[in-house]
Amino acid sequence: MPATSQRRFAAILVELRRHNVDFIVVGGVAAGLEGAPVNTLDLDVVHSREPDNLARLLTALESLEATYRTHPGQRLKPDASHLASPGHQLLMTRFGPLDVLGTIGRSRDYKALLTHTVELELADDLRVRVLNLETLIAVKEEVGGEKDVAMLPVLRRTLEEKRRR
Amino acid sequence: MVVTATRKEADLDDDDQLRCAEPVYSEDGVDLTLIRWMLSLTPAERLDVLEGFAESMAEIRARNVTA
Repeated sequence: MPATSQRRFAAILVELRRHNVDFIVVGGVAAGLEGAPVNTLDLDVVHSREPDNLARLLTALESLEATYRTHPGQRLKPDASHLASPGHQLLMTRFGPLDVLGTIGRSRDYKALLTHTVELELADDLRVRVLNLETLIAVKEEVGGEKDVAMLPVLRRTLEEKRRR
Repeated sequence: MVVTATRKEADLDDDDQLRCAEPVYSEDGVDLTLIRWMLSLTPAERLDVLEGFAESMAEIRARNVTA
């Protein structure tokens, strides 16, 4: 059972950074960190699929006790081949849900997204790469699902307000 | 004697202040005041807001788990 009454997203991010994992925060947490008033229950990250990083990520996920939440009773763990794929690994960690994504939108991977990120300081010794609002919007437009389209107005208005400042 | 209730000049100023110079909602219904509030926070403070929601939802769900 994931821990409550603690900073779950921060705890996951700290663990990933502690293991020197290369990743980019995307999704709802990225939108919120970029200033959009959104709510989300899971942390989404796109990871580098370089072999060394996959090894570091596997170690971090082991530390996070990450298992597939698509198979809740079976405690199935991701392996290197899963993380090397462009697909989405929907995991549950001891701190809560974590989605580890090989690609997002139109097959945008870590390398393609890196130039569209900002580095944000979230705490002492915790700086993370976050996908910028412009690209979050572009990805949502590419995906085009109902859930993504529903979020577009608030993301677009947030971008407008940011640009006015 | 007819007493006409008039608003004091100070009240009119208060009412005028309540009317925002900037729009409150966008044309597509987005609450712009929430955006401005989030943008006034540091990234660390924004993470606290997100964490607070997630934590609250987790606690409420845990309280309402049915056997």
